Amino acid sequence: MEELISIFVRSIFVDNMIFAYFLGMCSFLAVSKTVETSTGLGISVTFVLAITIPVNYLLEKYLLKEGALAWLDPSFAELDLSFLSFIMFIAVIASIVQLLEMVIEKISPALYAALGIFLPLIAVNCAILGAALFMQEREYSNIVEASVFGIGSGLGWFLAVVSIAAIREKMRYSDIPAPLRGLGITFILTGLMGMAFMSFMGFDI
Amino acid sequence: MALTSKDLKLVTNPLNMENPITVQVLGICSALAITVQMKSAVVMALSVTVVLIFSNLITSLLRNTIPNRIRIIVQLTIVAALVIIVDQILKAYVYDVSKQLSVFVGLIITNCILMGRLEAFAMGNKPLPSVLDAIGNGAGYGVILIIVAFLRELLGSGKIWGYQVVPDAFYEMGYVNNGLMILPPMALITVGTIIWVQRSRYKQLIEQNG
Amino acid sequence: MDTNSNSYIYIFSSVMVIIVAAALSLAATGLKERQDKNVEIEKKQNLLSCVLIESTVEDAEAKFDQHIVEKYTIDHQGKVVDAVDPFTIDMKAELAKSIEERHMPVFIAKLDDGSTKTIIPVRGTGLWGPIWGYVSLNDDNKTIYGAVFDHKSETPGLGAEISSYDQFQKQFEGKTIELGSYDPAKEAKQQAPVLAVTKGMGEGNPNAVDGISGGTITSKGVQYMLTDCLGFFSPYFNQTH
Repeated sequence: MEELISIFVRSIFVDNMIFAYFLGMCSFLAVSKTVETSTGLGISVTFVLAITIPVNYLLEKYLLKEGALAWLDPSFAELDLSFLSFIMFIAVIASIVQLLEMVIEKISPALYAALGIFLPLIAVNCAILGAALFMQEREYSNIVEASVFGIGSGLGWFLAVVSIAAIREKMRYSDIPAPLRGLGITFILTGLMGMAFMSFMGFDI
Repeated sequence: MALTSKDLKLVTNPLNMENPITVQVLGICSALAITVQMKSAVVMALSVTVVLIFSNLITSLLRNTIPNRIRIIVQLTIVAALVIIVDQILKAYVYDVSKQLSVFVGLIITNCILMGRLEAFAMGNKPLPSVLDAIGNGAGYGVILIIVAFLRELLGSGKIWGYQVVPDAFYEMGYVNNGLMILPPMALITVGTIIWVQRSRYKQLIEQNG
Repeated sequence: MDTNSNSYIYIFSSVMVIIVAAALSLAATGLKERQDKNVEIEKKQNLLSCVLIESTVEDAEAKFDQHIVEKYTIDHQGKVVDAVDPFTIDMKAELAKSIEERHMPVFIAKLDDGSTKTIIPVRGTGLWGPIWGYVSLNDDNKTIYGAVFDHKSETPGLGAEISSYDQFQKQFEGKTIELGSYDPAKEAKQQAPVLAVTKGMGEGNPNAVDGISGGTITSKGVQYMLTDCLGFFSPYFNQTH
């Protein structure tokens, strides 16, 4: 349990997808103009991460890892398919996103109206693939840990995008040097926020 | 076949006025995390350029045969396959650099420059212009990466390309490396400053309602 | 031709999958030997540099055969087990086992000056992923002769500095490890360190080295790794004395 809480808190604050790794920056910069759209994208990212990370975890454990196919037949124990992981992960992500889009459209048109436009964007959001690769790299010991990491990273991304959007909304009323307007100041702002988030680093649960 | 000036523009424009990072805002994700040292930045820039050239070329050759409904998946597959090959080659021939880049090689797949250029250019243009476009954008991406890495490595650890350039005498006089430069936030602030400098010189790039 | 018909899409995707799969397996199998060789040579180079012998990719194998004179596999009671080849032991798999079933390799190096050093492998977790390395000890099994560390994905310039000789590994030379209070039943975090890795403590202290500024969690990871792995060998050290 302790371990889970630690993974959760760390993935939100310490290993924040945006402030520590700059993952998902493209869509981050594009949508962080208003709080409303960034909330929509933030929720979608969390949602997709919460589903794709466990799926990719199972894929990694029972298909890709060296010796992972031993459960099929002991003679496969030597097989190492890990070179396929990039393409498998991205395929899983793209198809899950597609599937989600269709399911949401069927069961909840209201939710679809809110999240629909963001879902196609998410398939190529670096944060999703990045989280899958980090999951592989950090070798979480079971699926619960992996899922908690997925949800935590999503929430971290959500938190980052919404807080920057809130600041950008306020900034519209401030007098920024013309060349810095828009993109420039957003970069610097994200950098400053990143510094603030770094104070969570020493944090040990 | 001679290159027309229009073709040449495809290469030179992305270096400055249509720079993929500072103007088009593409491909920032994987760009910043590996700019602590020049060497990894250069390898990363080269890998992205190579993947970009080949994926632009392949997509452009196939552009009339790719079914529209599954084109994103097809593009992703092309890119992912190329990235895996690059990753395998890095592991086999420049093992130490590939260890440093770790997951960020994989993240080339979702690098927005790739998908962005494939969608915006290669899907609608002949192979030659597509390759030139890829070279230009890869180089434009590389230039920013290398500038950022240069500044961060120089100020952060007093080195360039792993060699000590700040003389020991400076350290004896009390000069200290700026440890902040190697932390992630400074990458963002450095890029922000580059954008600032670029836009002060080229006024037409200034955003009207930021 | 209608490129949007279902049958066309099926044919297109099947052909694409076959081509991509063929290209990838070709690349992976074609380069695998070279990659495995890289990993093996790196391991040999690491073992050599742990006893402060420099080697290049070309001469690593020859030097390895010349200097690494013996290797054993050890169980948790410090006994030599014959069944397993020490060079191929997968530390990750071993550390996942319970301590009673764990097997670890030991390498004995003979240097040009005739002295012998014991090389112990270590493995643990840094900030982002696994870290590992080797520590070599003098005849007294207490004083560190040399240490190398490496990592999978620590932050470049910060935690990643543990793999730098000048910045980090050099400090370990001549330090003493303290195995007296090691208790295998407890986790590394909850016991006295075999060797402390803490910022600002290293200077003049025989039992501590300076951690990396900005890489606190990685430095702590090194400390836990040393406690865990060197601790495992304390029965072995007691026997050889």
